[in-house]
Amino acid sequence: MILEVRVFGGLEKWIPGASFGKPMEVKTARGATVRTLLQELKIPEDQVFTILVNGVHASMGDLLRPGDRVAFFPPVGGG
Amino acid sequence: MAKILRFNTSTKELKYEDVPEKYAVLGGRALTSRIVCDEVPATCDPLGPFNKLVIAPGLLSGTSAPSSGRISVGGKSPLTGGIKEANAGGITSQKLASLGIKAIVLEGKPAGGDWCGIKITAAGAEVFDANDLAGKGTYEVTAICRERYGSKVGVITIGPAGEMLLPAAGVTNNDPEGNSSRYAGRGGLGAVMGSKKVKAIVVDSPGTFDAPVKDQEKFKAAAKKFAKILQDHPVTGQGLPSYGTNVLMNIINEAGTLPTRNFRYGRFDKASEVSGEKLAEVAVARGGKATHACHPGCVMRCSNIYPMPDGKVCAPVEYETAWAFGPNLEISDLDVVARLNYICNDVGLDTIETGCTLGVLMEAGAIPFGDGKAAIAALEEVYRGTPLGRLIGSGSVIAGRAYGVTRVPAVKGQGIPAYDPRSCKGNGVTYATTPMGADHTAGYAVTANILSVGGKVDPLQPAGQADLSRNLQIATAAVDSTGLCLFVAFPVLDNPEGLPAIIEMINAQYGLSLTADDVMALGRDILKGEREFNRRAGFTSADDRLPEFFAAEELPPHNTRFDIKDEELDSVFNF
Repeated sequence: MILEVRVFGGLEKWIPGASFGKPMEVKTARGATVRTLLQELKIPEDQVFTILVNGVHASMGDLLRPGDRVAFFPPVGGG
Repeated sequence: MAKILRFNTSTKELKYEDVPEKYAVLGGRALTSRIVCDEVPATCDPLGPFNKLVIAPGLLSGTSAPSSGRISVGGKSPLTGGIKEANAGGITSQKLASLGIKAIVLEGKPAGGDWCGIKITAAGAEVFDANDLAGKGTYEVTAICRERYGSKVGVITIGPAGEMLLPAAGVTNNDPEGNSSRYAGRGGLGAVMGSKKVKAIVVDSPGTFDAPVKDQEKFKAAAKKFAKILQDHPVTGQGLPSYGTNVLMNIINEAGTLPTRNFRYGRFDKASEVSGEKLAEVAVARGGKATHACHPGCVMRCSNIYPMPDGKVCAPVEYETAWAFGPNLEISDLDVVARLNYICNDVGLDTIETGCTLGVLMEAGAIPFGDGKAAIAALEEVYRGTPLGRLIGSGSVIAGRAYGVTRVPAVKGQGIPAYDPRSCKGNGVTYATTPMGADHTAGYAVTANILSVGGKVDPLQPAGQADLSRNLQIATAAVDSTGLCLFVAFPVLDNPEGLPAIIEMINAQYGLSLTADDVMALGRDILKGEREFNRRAGFTSADDRLPEFFAAEELPPHNTRFDIKDEELDSVFNF
């Protein structure tokens, strides 16, 4: 299945050629979870603070579906 | 012994007063709101002789407490018609506290057109003729004062917008480099200062950390502990020091709650072009800084220095401002955003209100959405006081009335900031109910709604939002009184040792034995007092509501509406 993945806040450094906010098409097997996706992308789990799937908070074990918009963030805050 | 400095602008009499017992352990917002409640008739004209402008450093300002340089400015707001407290960073709070000044109160109203300034030093305070500063932008005023009185002075000033008494005018002061960009921006307090004909207050203090501390040893230990708590938390130790507040742009966009095209959509496809990551990239490439402290002793350093193409710098570009002039107007050019930000800083306007107003004018078709050049040209008209310039400086509600726009994002006359209340519903409760008018800082539910700080509350559902907002509003009122930057709330919400460390610092400084319950009681008292002022000014529960389009129109991508019941909104102040 194909996912639309974005990384932000410095996480782009783990993926060669990636830049923040730029959507990446990632092909992965059905049954993939957030955790297996991170492993495929070679982003260490402890670098990721917030995961949004289709704009909703997700956890490491959540199953992903074809076409999901997945975004990974380090710790962020402000206001 | 701490003093209150009063300036009667009618008689030009300047006098130091002893601090009454009842104000002894108040500071920041607690003190400005208490003095306003005690001395300003709630029904007075905000620009008339009976309103007062109160400026107060926070309780911990002028000490070595980390990130404690916030200054509060209060009065009756010309924008909302209710009580107002707006606070800012910058270097002046620590200087005033080091000089033993608990508050400055500007009162009365002078006859005639002359402008004056006040200069405060360790030797005392004096009034000076400021007619030569009138009409000038805040950057020039600050540069002149630094040249005349020394490069270390703090300068509290207003721009031409404040002089013109425009309801969206703010009060600013400078950072250590002299940028007059640290705004108590919201609610039009710059117009109140303008009505008193005070153009600048220059604070010259030899010390920054000279506020008296009763128990030095205890204080040092608590301050050290608190600094470590800030540095150990992922947001204040890692997130904010890397990219500043504008790192929020992308996460708020991904969460689908980034108000776009005057609150039409929850996502902007070019959000990352005006985000903190982009800002850091451009700022560093141009020789600026991705991280910078707005006052000495701040460990979070969330400010930045953004060099603009014309050679000037905008320091900082904050998230709410980048939103107001970016996605809100469908502008994706960071240089345009910085330019609009700089003009607001210089002419003396609140950036959030101005962004909301430009959004309303774009909604009306007076300026095309996305047209940065037209937005800059329109904003520059404020300097000249043209009819359009005055309209822009009058805020979103007045602009909406003038152009027949009903989609005006405002509560109690004040523009709604950078988180859409339909998909960040906790903030919606805060916008509706805070005595300040729509204000994200008053009860920043983005923490639990979006950032997974201080627990988790689903941002798309109404459940739990009233409780969340209430607790945050109480805690915020207390934090706003300490002089600590509100961002300390991130670790304090997550780390049970955070609040005790703050209380230990206050107790050591003032020789008190306050408990956590006392601090929460202070927060509740502040809010109750502010609500009572607004009630006397004529506000009812009908004013604690969002504009109807938030309930009527769905916000993509989550297609949610604001559906918190009126009874729940009315339960927020049930204490």
